Amino acid sequence: MRVGLFIPCFIDQLYPRVGIAMVTVLRRLNVAVEYPAAQTCCGQPAFNTGYWDEARTLAKRYAEIFAGYDAVVSPSGSCTAMVRNFYPELGVTPPPTFEFSEFLVRQLGVTDVGARFPAKVTYHDSCHTLRELRLKDEPRQLLRHVKGLELLEMDKAETCCGFGGTFSVKFPMISYAMDEVKCQSIAGTGAAYVVSADSSCLMQINGYLQKQKLPVKIISLAEVLAST
Amino acid sequence: MNPAREQILARVRAALRVAGAAPAAPSAALFFPPVTNLEQRFREEFTALRGEIVTDLPAFLKEFPRIASDLPAVVPGNAGVHECDLGVTGCDCLIAQTGSIAVSTRSAGGRALSVLPPVHLVIARREQIVPDLTGAMDWLRRRYDQHWPSSLSLITGPSRTADIEKILVMGAHGPKRLAVYFV
Amino acid sequence: MSATAQQFLRTAAAKSADLRHRAVIQTNMASYNVAVTRGKARFADWQNARRRAAQIKWETINHLDRYLEQFERNVIANGGRVHWAETSAEARNYILSLAHRHGVRKVVKSKSMTTEEIHLNDALEAAGIHAVETDLGEFICQLRHEPPYHIVTPVMHLTKADIARDFHEKLGAPLTDNAEELTRIARQKLRQEFLSADMGITGANFAVAETGMIAITENEGNARLTFSLPPIHVAIVGIEKLIPRVADLALLWPLLSTSGTGQPITAYSSLIGGPRRDNEPDGPAEFHVILLDNGRTRLLADAEQRDALHCIRCGACLNACPVYQNIGGHTYATTYPGPIGAVITPHLRNAAEWSHLPYASSLCGACTDVCPVRIDIHHHLLHNRRNAVQKRLDHPLQRLIFRSWLWAMQSPVRYRLAGKLGALACRLGVKPPRAFPAPANQSFKDWWKNNEPGT
Repeated sequence: MRVGLFIPCFIDQLYPRVGIAMVTVLRRLNVAVEYPAAQTCCGQPAFNTGYWDEARTLAKRYAEIFAGYDAVVSPSGSCTAMVRNFYPELGVTPPPTFEFSEFLVRQLGVTDVGARFPAKVTYHDSCHTLRELRLKDEPRQLLRHVKGLELLEMDKAETCCGFGGTFSVKFPMISYAMDEVKCQSIAGTGAAYVVSADSSCLMQINGYLQKQKLPVKIISLAEVLAST
Repeated sequence: MNPAREQILARVRAALRVAGAAPAAPSAALFFPPVTNLEQRFREEFTALRGEIVTDLPAFLKEFPRIASDLPAVVPGNAGVHECDLGVTGCDCLIAQTGSIAVSTRSAGGRALSVLPPVHLVIARREQIVPDLTGAMDWLRRRYDQHWPSSLSLITGPSRTADIEKILVMGAHGPKRLAVYFV
Repeated sequence: MSATAQQFLRTAAAKSADLRHRAVIQTNMASYNVAVTRGKARFADWQNARRRAAQIKWETINHLDRYLEQFERNVIANGGRVHWAETSAEARNYILSLAHRHGVRKVVKSKSMTTEEIHLNDALEAAGIHAVETDLGEFICQLRHEPPYHIVTPVMHLTKADIARDFHEKLGAPLTDNAEELTRIARQKLRQEFLSADMGITGANFAVAETGMIAITENEGNARLTFSLPPIHVAIVGIEKLIPRVADLALLWPLLSTSGTGQPITAYSSLIGGPRRDNEPDGPAEFHVILLDNGRTRLLADAEQRDALHCIRCGACLNACPVYQNIGGHTYATTYPGPIGAVITPHLRNAAEWSHLPYASSLCGACTDVCPVRIDIHHHLLHNRRNAVQKRLDHPLQRLIFRSWLWAMQSPVRYRLAGKLGALACRLGVKPPRAFPAPANQSFKDWWKNNEPGT
């Protein structure tokens, strides 16, 4: 099986450690991966803002870059949803693209990646991972097999963090209020870490946690799974 | 007939020239669990809604000095619908699934008698209980076919509101109490 | 940006920071969620029920001309009258001339969003006709001269204390913190209005084509009094309210009440098919149905978003929406707020003025998941955004940004350069927007070059 990596633009630039963690886990599982160097962005910012012609150009680009791969794996539910669910709306056939936890659990059949992370964590369901890709149990299955990890569910696990890409720029006050509601739910669990399959949500959540100096740190699912 | 009619229908027809994508079809699975033991289910649902099941009819009637009745053979009436303390009606059928009572202008003495009085007593027979809403709509359709009464209501418990802080209050505008007596 | 959009931004900013508002809504939503969870558990298969409901509405909406004509024929056969109205003004004028002909001085109304849509109360008052809202929530709204906050729960934003103050100041009632007492005060006041009204006006939750009857869902009994006591009953019905058969209500009634309040079925689910018949003791002498278009055929013409006409106005998408919960119903300034309002308002009204609403969503999709008739709500928000850009309603600067961004993203060299420039700017003290961290020292691309297999 020829597996390609798709590292979304903001992970590449802002959170490269998330991509590195995913590669670490995949190599530990003896999955050979390739990284096509021409890749940039899936086009979601343009698509979500209404610029479908611009998004289509990048969708075609993505489809060309990843043509010939049996699977593309990405550490972002959001970008995976863009490729799988929305490329068809743009008239572009998507290459088979999987979110990381989905790839591990559904494609490889792995739920224990041999990780160890002794801490209390709570899991944030990112909207795209949950409601576009319908992945609720997969990330939790992986977390439950991490040694030393205690998973505490928050009451508003499925509530949006308020990021929404350009939404947070156009309507910062609504976005902030949503972030506040989310973070109060996170802090209510007593967890030391909030984990998610989307680093964009974690970035948003971190904005409030830091501003209010709440004692919770953000960490991506890939980084938890890479820890030993 | 007003000119808007042709305008609207023409726009509708023009709009529908482009077909819409059909939605995913439902499976043959039931929407609601089947209802068994009709009378017991009706009693459970009805009383959970704060409906009262009358066993001693004369004792119940003693509470009400002024009664308006559409069933004088069972309960004699001595007042009009506007000034009574109790309205007594028959019904079309009772629905076990939801604890509802179907009344119509024909089965319940018009429109006001089952909604205007502060208390509403329904006289029914156990055989009138149907399993569920589907059964009730079937029953009504068969009963009335081309001659529907001008109005009918499924009554499910006494009048209520939760408009204020979602706090349940009985007797918003309709009857504060709803009772059934099985003959 | 339209003046409406600017007003939206200002109100949304204020409400988002209003912690009292947030607490009231969250308390309401908590009770709602408990009730709805319990309500859905009464279905054998909630998802299948949604699919069937979507199918029923799809069948109707996609053959709407046929069902409208069938409905009209049957209303007339039942002794009722049908008036078609293309616009709000036509609907209002019909009611006003009817009221004038019959010397109507007082109208009682049961809760109807369609009458809100056509601004009926203002028109009646201007014509010297006293219009009385009889649903408890709407009655409170009318006292406060405020539009409903929510399409199902009009005063969700108020506490008992707020309402007690209004009743005290406007009705002279003694102050009380008891919801039962407040309800009793309204009942007593409104009972007199029902008995003296010359006309009753209702909306309709459904209009049944095969029998020519309208269906009304309520809990209080005010709708039943409205269509039972006054000598004339007028029902204002959006053309999308049609359903084919009476039997469809066996599913649609419970679906609406479960999604609206969590009840298995509301206290009163009524069907009205005409004026008093000869063999009936009471009821209105006249029954009029107004079939209202008011932009609905524009939405119908958009095959992509046609399913938005499936909406049964249950309010579930408002309740599920984290944006609605934080900015509240009034901020939208539309008849239909929340996610479904953001889908339909640019079609029903004016896209240039209302195109901000589809953008005021994080696209979380909670609305689509709860919709009992499976409207693809959050994807239609995306469609509306695309439509806005196609109509060039977007800001020229935003357009320029996305063009430049595309130019950068089409080449890995330009992409890397843009990243490096960003990192440099941050080192020079430029603050990244919002919560964005500064770019990492080494991008994944750079890391991979040193860590490729075989290196």
